[in-house]
Amino acid sequence: MTLDTTNLKNAIEVRNLDFFYGKFKGLKSINLNIAENKVTAFIGPSGCGKSTLLRTFNRMYDLYPGQRAEGEINLYGENILDKERDLNLLRSKVGMIFQKPTPFPMSIYDNIAFGVKLYENLNKADMDERVEWALNKAALWNEVKEKLNQSGLSLSGGQQQRLCIARGVAVKPSVLLLDEPTSALDPISTGKVEELVHELKNDYTVAIVTHNMQQAARVSDFTAFMYLGELIEFNETKQIFLKPDRKETEDYITGRFG
Amino acid sequence: MTEKHLSSQFDADLNTINAHLLEMGGLVEAQVANAMKAFSTMDAELASEVLAKEKTVNDFEINIDKECAEILARRQPTAKDLRLVLAIAKAISNLERVGDEADHIAARIKKIVEVNAPYQINVAEIRIAGQMALGLLRRSLDAFARMDSKAAATIVADDLEIDNEFRGFVRKLNSYMSEDPRIISTALEILFIAKAVERIGDHAKNISEFVIYVDKGMDVRHLPHDQLIQEANK
Repeated sequence: MTLDTTNLKNAIEVRNLDFFYGKFKGLKSINLNIAENKVTAFIGPSGCGKSTLLRTFNRMYDLYPGQRAEGEINLYGENILDKERDLNLLRSKVGMIFQKPTPFPMSIYDNIAFGVKLYENLNKADMDERVEWALNKAALWNEVKEKLNQSGLSLSGGQQQRLCIARGVAVKPSVLLLDEPTSALDPISTGKVEELVHELKNDYTVAIVTHNMQQAARVSDFTAFMYLGELIEFNETKQIFLKPDRKETEDYITGRFG
Repeated sequence: MTEKHLSSQFDADLNTINAHLLEMGGLVEAQVANAMKAFSTMDAELASEVLAKEKTVNDFEINIDKECAEILARRQPTAKDLRLVLAIAKAISNLERVGDEADHIAARIKKIVEVNAPYQINVAEIRIAGQMALGLLRRSLDAFARMDSKAAATIVADDLEIDNEFRGFVRKLNSYMSEDPRIISTALEILFIAKAVERIGDHAKNISEFVIYVDKGMDVRHLPHDQLIQEANK
């Protein structure tokens, strides 16, 4: 089931993607498009391959021996699975935020500046400006502007996660991958991150994996339902949650799975 | 709902609401049946009974609305479950209005009986339309209980016949009134009754359309009839 996104510009186009954990095939012939400046959500039961798929978009799996992807993932027309691809550059273009907030054990300011320094040579004033800009994008500036020199670890869980998002946007990526970004957060922090996702899509393409179906319903424009390594249904979010085409999708989102 | 949810409480809650809807439907059906019976025999006492039960119908509506709000708040239903809850909330509002129509009919009957009005109008069409409306109401509730889109589509078609009967009766009433102006006030009361019957058919039709919405996920209101049949049989 492939959604017709012909009238949208695609940031990522996945073609016949297979993924292997050693001999186990974790993804089976995935085809889908991630539309630019939209939020695409991936839902499905544990082990369905949604996180695996997300991790292929910036080749996070390369860190683990024995894992490999076959097929094509075109990021603005360039296949990121090419062996020659510069992974650091790729990951600056496709940022990732994980389930548990992972601030570096350094100051709030340095958490943001660290990544920027890898790619750009900014003077102090420009760096200050970039840090403020990123923290503003992540809706965190007002909460931390008085304590930029304090450790990132001193922040609350929700603030830490927004710090990670700020760190992600600071290097000006084109795509942001969110892997269950709120499952460790309380409802208020979750609400703030969700609100942020709405803001972020003005400038970025967002792909989000979530166990919380209502979250997918709230934040995304498109939703992909995956099961056992296959893409079962991919459609506009409102369509998926009002009238899915496939029975498997209906059973999953209405809680009849099992 | 054939297959069960992982949460049996969710199933139980949905089933309860559904059962309450059908219970309310049964009560409203009885109200219409009694109102039409009272009309046939000009039975003011039976009409009073209908009026007395109106409050029970209203209580049902308020109670089921509350249950729908609760299930939305607690379960955040999706897909077919969501469509079902939305349809129930709308169907009970239609049922409540059917109750109102039965109420109006009963009130008119009492008025006609009280003033002991001259009554030489042949009201066969209203009696026929009344039986038809009652049949449609029964069938629409049946279709709702079974989520049967095909049955629902036939109800929408049959409602057109009630509308035809109504228009025929209005034409006839016109000529009655021009022949004998003394009956105008009674004729107007009867016109209101005819209109109430016609509306009951419309509400039954609406309920049937909700069945197709729940079952097929397609909003068929205001669709041309052949298209509606097509959707219902998909």
